[in-house]
Amino acid sequence: MMDLAASLLSPEFFAAILRVSTPIILVAMGVLISERAGVVNIGAEGMMLSGAFCGVVFSAYTGSATVGLVAAIVAGMVGGLFMSFAVHVLRANLFLSGIALNLAASAGTILALFALTGEKGISGTLDSEVLPSVHIPWVQDLPVLGTILSGHHILTYVAFLSVPAVAIFMMRTPTGLRMRAVGENPEAAKATGLSVIRLQLQAFLLCGVFAGAGGAFLSMGYVSWFSQNMTAGRGFIALAAEVMGAGGAYGTLAASLLLGSVDVLAIALAGEGLPSELLQAAPYVVTVLALALYGLRQTKQKTIGTVH
Amino acid sequence: MIRAAFASTAITAGFCLFVLLVVLVPVALLYPEPGEVLSRFLLGPFEKTRYMGNIVELATPSMLTALAVVLMFRCGAFNLGVEGSFFLGGLTTAAMVLWMPLPPLVGIPLALLAGAIVGSLVCGIPGILKATTGASELVSSLMLNYAAVFIGLFVLNYYLRDPTAAMLSSDRFPAEYRFESLIPRTRIHIGSIVAVVACIIGAIYLNRTSQGLEVRISGTGNDFSRHLGLNSVALNIRIQVIGGMIAAFAGGIEMLGLYSRFTWQNTTGNGWTGVIVAIIARDNPILIIPAALFIGYLQVGGDLVSRAFGVPTEIVSLIQALVMICVTSVAIFQHPALRKFVQGNRGEAAQ
Repeated sequence: MMDLAASLLSPEFFAAILRVSTPIILVAMGVLISERAGVVNIGAEGMMLSGAFCGVVFSAYTGSATVGLVAAIVAGMVGGLFMSFAVHVLRANLFLSGIALNLAASAGTILALFALTGEKGISGTLDSEVLPSVHIPWVQDLPVLGTILSGHHILTYVAFLSVPAVAIFMMRTPTGLRMRAVGENPEAAKATGLSVIRLQLQAFLLCGVFAGAGGAFLSMGYVSWFSQNMTAGRGFIALAAEVMGAGGAYGTLAASLLLGSVDVLAIALAGEGLPSELLQAAPYVVTVLALALYGLRQTKQKTIGTVH
Repeated sequence: MIRAAFASTAITAGFCLFVLLVVLVPVALLYPEPGEVLSRFLLGPFEKTRYMGNIVELATPSMLTALAVVLMFRCGAFNLGVEGSFFLGGLTTAAMVLWMPLPPLVGIPLALLAGAIVGSLVCGIPGILKATTGASELVSSLMLNYAAVFIGLFVLNYYLRDPTAAMLSSDRFPAEYRFESLIPRTRIHIGSIVAVVACIIGAIYLNRTSQGLEVRISGTGNDFSRHLGLNSVALNIRIQVIGGMIAAFAGGIEMLGLYSRFTWQNTTGNGWTGVIVAIIARDNPILIIPAALFIGYLQVGGDLVSRAFGVPTEIVSLIQALVMICVTSVAIFQHPALRKFVQGNRGEAAQ
C-alpha cells in the first residue's frame, strides 16, 4: 500500500493524468463549441475515430507526421460536413445523425483499413509516424515540475492551450457570441439577421477540428497504430465532461482532468492486483455519478432561483 | 388516413431499397463479377431454408430491442442503454442457468426473469437519474453501456469462467435448458414467436390502453401532459425500466436460443440494431417486425457475399447508417411534393 501511495504522489502519475486527459480535453472543446451553438454532437466519437484512422494512413503513405495530423483534422471536418448535411439539408434528427456518423465511421474505417492492408483489426503493417514530444527548455530541468510538465506529446500542449483559446473565442469574439445566440434561441438569432445554418455548420467544422486532433493524438502519440474502434467511448466521455463543465471551457477542462485521473488511477490500482475489469468500468461509473451530482446541484439552484 | 399510412410505409421501404443499392452497386463494381455479388447479396438469402432461418434468427433479438427503444422514444426518453441491457441480460441468464439446479420448466423462466431484472438497470438507472437529478439519460446510458460490459466481464472472468476452455467463456449450459429448434435445418427457436407476440402486445399497449395513451402524450411534450395532470416523471421511469427489461430479456433469449455457453467479450451490437430497426419502423411496434426482418436480410446478404467474394461485412453497417439518416430526414419525408402524393388530393386539409 505504501508503494501505491508513493506512486500516486509521484510526478509520473500527474504526468500520466495530463497524457490520458489530452484526447478528452480536445474532443470536449469541440463538443463545447457545437453544444453552445445548439447542435450537441454525438458524432464526436465517430469524428475522432476517422481522425485517428486518417492520421495513421496519411502519415504512413507520406512519411510525414504533419500531413497525418492535417489529414486527421480534415477527416474530423468531413465528419462535421456530414453532420451539417444530415441536420441542415436533410433535416434528420440531430442525435440519430450523430449515431449514424459513429456507425458509419466505425464501419468505414474498418472497410478502408481492410482495403489498404487486408487486415481488419489493427494497422500493424502500416509504417505510420508519430507526432513529436516537446521538451520545454528551463522547465524540464526543474525537479518535480519538469517531469510533470515537460516532455509531453505536442498535442497535449495544444489541448491545454486550446482551453483559454476556446474560452476567449466563445465569450469574447463576435463569432462566438453569435454561435451562443444561435444555440440559446435560434429564432431570435434568425430575427436579428444571423444565419443559423452557417453558424452551426462552422460549429460542426470546429468540433471536427478538435475531434480529429483528439483522434490523431490517440493513434499518433498515445499509441503508434490504429485499431478498430480504438476511441472506446472517449467521444462520449468528452460529451459528459462538457455537460459537467456546464458549457464553460475551464469547467470542461476540470471535468476532463477529473475523468482522466479516474482512468489513470484505475490503471495504477490494476497493478495492485485489483480486478482490472472493475477498474476499467470505474471511469464510466464515475462519469455517471458526476453527471448526477452536477444535475442535482443545478436543479437545487434552479429551485432556489425561481419563485413558484 | 389508412392510405397515407400505407403510402408512407411503402415510401420508407422504397428508400431503404434505394440506399441499399446506392451502397451496394459501387462496392460490387470493385469486384470482377459485379452481377454475381449483387445477386448473391440480394437473392442469396432466399436460396436456402437455412439462410431464411438465419434472417429470422437475426431479426429475433432486434425485434425485442427495437420494441424497447420504441417504447422509450415514444415516451420522450432518449435512452440508448439497450445495448448494455442486452449484454447484462444474457450474462445474468447464463449465470442463473449455470448456478441454479432447478428443473428447466421453472429454471428457464426464472433465469430469464433474473436476466430481465438485472439487465434493466442499464436503462433504468439513467431514467431514474434523469427524473431525480436531471442528468441527461442519453449520456448516462451511453456510459453505462461500457460499464455494463466491464462489470459483466468481471463476473465472467471471476465466477463463470470455464478454466478448461481455450477462450474466455463460461461452462456449458445443461442441454435441457437450451431452446430447441422449431423448424428443421434452421435454428429458429421459441424466442422468435415470443418476439413477434411482444411486438403485437406492444402495439396494443401503446395504441389501445389508457397508459399507452399517457406514454404517447408525455412523449409529445411535458407541458401538455402536466396540464392534464399526468405524472410523466413516474411514467418515464417506468417505461425505461420496462424497456431495459425487454432488451435484457432479449439477451437472455438469445443466450438460450443460440449459444451453448456464454462467450460475449463485448456488446453484441443487437441494441444498436434495435435502434435502427425502431427508426425504420418509425416508432410503430407492428412495423418493427418487417423492419427487423429487413435488417436481418441485409445481415445475411452481407454475410453471404463476405464468404463468397470476401466483401467485408461492414458494408451492411454503412447501409444501416445511411438508412437511418434518410428515414429520419424531414426534408425528404415532409417534402411538399411527397406529402401531396402520399395524401392524395383530398388529404391536404387534414395534414
